[in-house]
Amino acid sequence: MGPNPRKRKVVTRAAPEASDSGDELADGLLDGILSHSEDDSDQSQVEDDDSDASSVIEGLSDGDEEDEEDEEDESGFESEDGEQDIREQMRKLKTTDDPSKRTISLDNGADATADGELDEQDDSAKPNYTVTTDANGNPRYIYKEIDPVYDSDDSDAADVANTIGNIDLSYYDEYPHIGYDINGKRIMRPAKGDALDALLDSIDIPKGWTGLTDPATGKPLNLSAEELDVLKRVTRNEHLEDGYDPYPEMVHYFSGVKEIMPLSAAPEPKRRFVPSKHEAKRVMKIVKAIREGRIQPYKPPEEREEQDEQVHYDVWADEKPRSDNSMHLAAPKLPPPGYDASYHPPPEYLPDKDEEKAWLEADEEDREKEYLPRNHDALRKVPGYERFVKERFERSLDLYLAPRVRRNKLNIDPESLLPKLPNPEDLKPFPTTCAAIFRGQEGRVRSVSFDPRGIFVASGGDDGYVRIWEILTGRQVWNVKLSDEEAVDSVKWRPDAETSILAAAAGEDVYMIVPFTILSPDVEQASRDILDAGWGYAASKPSTTTNGETKEPPGKWSRPGSRLESKGVLVQTTVRSNVKTIHWHRKGDYFATVSPRGQSTAVAIHTLSKHLTQLPFRRLKGIAQTAQFHPSKAIFFVATKNSIRSYDLAKQELVKILQPGAKWISSIDVHPGGDNIIVGTYDKRLLWHDLDLSTKPYKTLRFHTAAIRAVRFHQGGLPLFADASDDGSMQIFHGKVVGDMMENATIVPLKVLKGHKVKSRLGVMDVDWHPREPWCVSAGADGTCRMWN
Amino acid sequence: MESQPEIKVPIRLSTRDSSIRLTQDAGVLLVQTTLKRPQLSALVNNLLRPEEKPIPFDILVNGQFLKTTIDEFLTQNGISAETTLDVEYARAFVPPLNVSSFEHDDWVSAVDVWSGAQGSEKILSASYDGLLRVWNTSGDVLATSTPPNNGGRISCLKAARWISSTQAIAGGLDSTVRLYNFDEDTQTLSTALELYSHKWGIEDIAFNPSSNRILSASSDSTISIFSSNAKENPAAPANLLPNSTAAANKRQKQTKGPERSVPARGALSKLTGHTSPVSSAIFKPDDATVAYSASHDHSLKTWDLTTSTCVDTRTTAQSLLSLTALPQLNLLATGTSARHITLIDPRASATQISVMTLRGHKNAVVSLATDPASEYHLLSGSHDGTAMVWDVRSVRTSDVQGEGQIGESVYSIYRDSAAGKVSHAHGEGVKVFSVCWDKSVGIVSAGEDKKVQINRALGS
Repeated sequence: MGPNPRKRKVVTRAAPEASDSGDELADGLLDGILSHSEDDSDQSQVEDDDSDASSVIEGLSDGDEEDEEDEEDESGFESEDGEQDIREQMRKLKTTDDPSKRTISLDNGADATADGELDEQDDSAKPNYTVTTDANGNPRYIYKEIDPVYDSDDSDAADVANTIGNIDLSYYDEYPHIGYDINGKRIMRPAKGDALDALLDSIDIPKGWTGLTDPATGKPLNLSAEELDVLKRVTRNEHLEDGYDPYPEMVHYFSGVKEIMPLSAAPEPKRRFVPSKHEAKRVMKIVKAIREGRIQPYKPPEEREEQDEQVHYDVWADEKPRSDNSMHLAAPKLPPPGYDASYHPPPEYLPDKDEEKAWLEADEEDREKEYLPRNHDALRKVPGYERFVKERFERSLDLYLAPRVRRNKLNIDPESLLPKLPNPEDLKPFPTTCAAIFRGQEGRVRSVSFDPRGIFVASGGDDGYVRIWEILTGRQVWNVKLSDEEAVDSVKWRPDAETSILAAAAGEDVYMIVPFTILSPDVEQASRDILDAGWGYAASKPSTTTNGETKEPPGKWSRPGSRLESKGVLVQTTVRSNVKTIHWHRKGDYFATVSPRGQSTAVAIHTLSKHLTQLPFRRLKGIAQTAQFHPSKAIFFVATKNSIRSYDLAKQELVKILQPGAKWISSIDVHPGGDNIIVGTYDKRLLWHDLDLSTKPYKTLRFHTAAIRAVRFHQGGLPLFADASDDGSMQIFHGKVVGDMMENATIVPLKVLKGHKVKSRLGVMDVDWHPREPWCVSAGADGTCRMWN
Repeated sequence: MESQPEIKVPIRLSTRDSSIRLTQDAGVLLVQTTLKRPQLSALVNNLLRPEEKPIPFDILVNGQFLKTTIDEFLTQNGISAETTLDVEYARAFVPPLNVSSFEHDDWVSAVDVWSGAQGSEKILSASYDGLLRVWNTSGDVLATSTPPNNGGRISCLKAARWISSTQAIAGGLDSTVRLYNFDEDTQTLSTALELYSHKWGIEDIAFNPSSNRILSASSDSTISIFSSNAKENPAAPANLLPNSTAAANKRQKQTKGPERSVPARGALSKLTGHTSPVSSAIFKPDDATVAYSASHDHSLKTWDLTTSTCVDTRTTAQSLLSLTALPQLNLLATGTSARHITLIDPRASATQISVMTLRGHKNAVVSLATDPASEYHLLSGSHDGTAMVWDVRSVRTSDVQGEGQIGESVYSIYRDSAAGKVSHAHGEGVKVFSVCWDKSVGIVSAGEDKKVQINRALGS
């Protein structure tokens, strides 16, 4: 880095001067351009290098440059000054030899650093003024202004000073530089080698290496030998300067040695032999004081002793009650001693042997009392209290360690923060115990349904059977095997008390069953009439033809064959994929089936009186899970995997989309009032939707440890609902809906019904409520149904 | 403690049984508090009839049976020893022990005892296999009915009653009440009459010998009145006969049963008013024109049979599953699905619906019977697999409003087939469906374990 930059510098310096012919230029703009060009040249020089290294080099070279520049600045200034003079003179004299002058000045500038002495001489040799003519034509000397800045001592400018001021250096952590110098140039962070380099550096410790970084320069902070020595002395608690003697030999200025040749030959003055009058005066003063009794030469010692004893310091003598300030904390008062603290307590306060033993064996901290009550006949027989000192000490310790600030504990009963829920006892009746177990099925029971009269329960399960049971006794009164391979996925009684028709789904088939053996002849006939009404409807009105060819109807209605017909299974409807749920319209003429695998045929609405199957949705978003009719309006709810849509069947439009936020909906049920929906999900949640409120759940109940399979409202006027979960339990809730729009539904968990065993991670598969009573029946994966009341 | 002076407590003896009442009031007696029931019983015997063989007495203090010493009783109940205790004594209830069990092929749904002369008692049992059986007390089947020809329908029986020593009635899920003739000589039980009125199963039947009227309570929420005399009944409604419909007729012909012609009749009258299945119907014990019925719709109705109208309705909070009358106390006992027995005063003047609640069963109480020997004892059969004996004198006041007083059971009879195992509340396999209490036979109960179980107090 020796001569090269300098040369360059000279060149660059020269360039602006050429353009500088105008006096005042827009400094900043030009400056910027210049610096840019300078930088460019710099960069072009080092571009090939590694970026890190380049920055380092840049930084270093910058620093060097700075040094030189500063030096140069002085000389440059002078040269400039010189230049100005010359120009001035040239203007005046109008005789010019520009280039030569300039070379001189340049030379001058270039040499300036080499020998400052010469420079100075040069300086002084030059005239310090300009000569003009004043108004009168006389020559006028205009002296150059003295620039205080450049005349002032600038010796420390050589230092690379970081000019960022009082800013935390950590702000520059992200940048390659650590600040700016006086010229606004970046002070680059010195090279930080790789870890290996650092390691090597650390092994090869140079003299005075500290391992620290000078924060101002960012360079490693090295200490000189002297500084190290000072530090060593400081740590050793020695004197900092070498050769400093803290205890020098005392120099006696006036010695007691009698001089052979004394300074003064004067004889001893008289006063050295005459008693001092001044002293006598003072003694007389004391004597007089003693005589007058102002000074008492002797004090009897007894009195003093007495006085000493009398001195007590009552620290709290003038203590005033302080205001109740949080910073003031009165020492807690000890409770007054009780009867058992007496030396002669009543016998009932004395511990018996067991208590005494227990007290003695107990850990000191666990003892209820710190002392053991003891009985002494007389006060004089009471021995010294052996724990006195310890007790005082502990008391003092307690006071010392006591908190200094009173903490105002929030005295809130956590119970009071909970919402006020009615006591489940007040919400009776609800099912609490298992009243009957319906046994006899093989495999899981997948579905249960109460008949509309509340006498029987139908169940269907993996064994392909549909069975009917007496509610209270758990007696199986009827069964039929619908299928050998397929499980019965859903059973639902037709909601009409006058007839008795059971719908059951096994595989792709939905069967209509009249279990005539438990029916009286007229009920059987009424039920048969309803089922038979639709025969021939399809034939008389052939399905709609499109482009001449008959479209395959979505559902095929047929007789199931003599074996099933002899058992009372009268109608078979075949759809295109496995039916998982059946739901009846309240009037019993329509029923909806859902076959989740069915894609476009997933949801089908069947008309019983016409033996007609329709597909209301051409395309369904997501996998359909279940579908349900509104209990009073012509609204149809379809639950897909994670949303519920309600459609107005009359207007044939979408009414609402509910987003329960569930991952996978398993089942839904509509409140008999029609404004609320409960949703059970496979992700263990039970969600209550208020249709009037929003599309988000009004309440989320998460009490189960496994998926919820079924949810069900009580349809007979009791404010109850239940869910069935794979953890083998059912939960009964009180869910009261008030007609008032201002009041939200009250939901109270009432009871967990446990009893079903969990088999292969499946617990309770389905639940249904009695049409009137607070009884419910559950279908378990363990092959049983249970009645709860 | 040994030197503690004997504490004596003043007692006043009383009884509700006139046969054992003291001839002259003994006034206030001072007895030691260390006495127990046997000593007090001996004391009463001494006062009552010192010469004769002592009768065991139960001692009730303040409506609770004394099972400990008086001292402990006082401490438990927080009564001072200085107050005069009202001590009531009653003939001791001798625990009925299991005597025998009669095996059936299927669940036994109903049981009834004809108490004729000593040794000629006949037990009638109705089973879910649709057969009615008559047993003697030693457990021999005297007769079995033939299965009814009802067109292939279910024939499970739910209720059965003796109406005379040779006639019995039974009803079941095929909604037909049948009258059977029992011939002891030929040991046959033949159907004499079929009574059609109901659309759904029969839950209970009752008979009044003085008016020859049969009451049948059905799941179709009606009660029908029939006469045991076939000719009094009108013709059977055509739509309820088993061969009324084409499909049923076809089936009827397919079943190759012997073609029998059993006369079919209809109901004299039908009582409608309940909204749910009627679980039980009884006659008022001393008045053949009044009937009571209990229903799943929570109500107990009083019917005037002459006009077939509902006179009074008492609504409770639970489904009522059984009903019996306690004639001397003017009370009706009804078993509920809420696992207790409620005693109801049916008189119109009664202000409180529930006079007393007997708690102790763990499942629905489906059958009730009274003690022929004592008006205070009540027998109940429940689906939890127990039959319980209650004493309505043993009461305490309830803290729940509207329940009246609360009683506890005196004795529990477990099913023999449970073999001492702790039964669950759901009583699976041991549910008791019917109970009956006869003076000489004892307590007869039938249940899901396919057995009729007889329990009798030995020595009585």
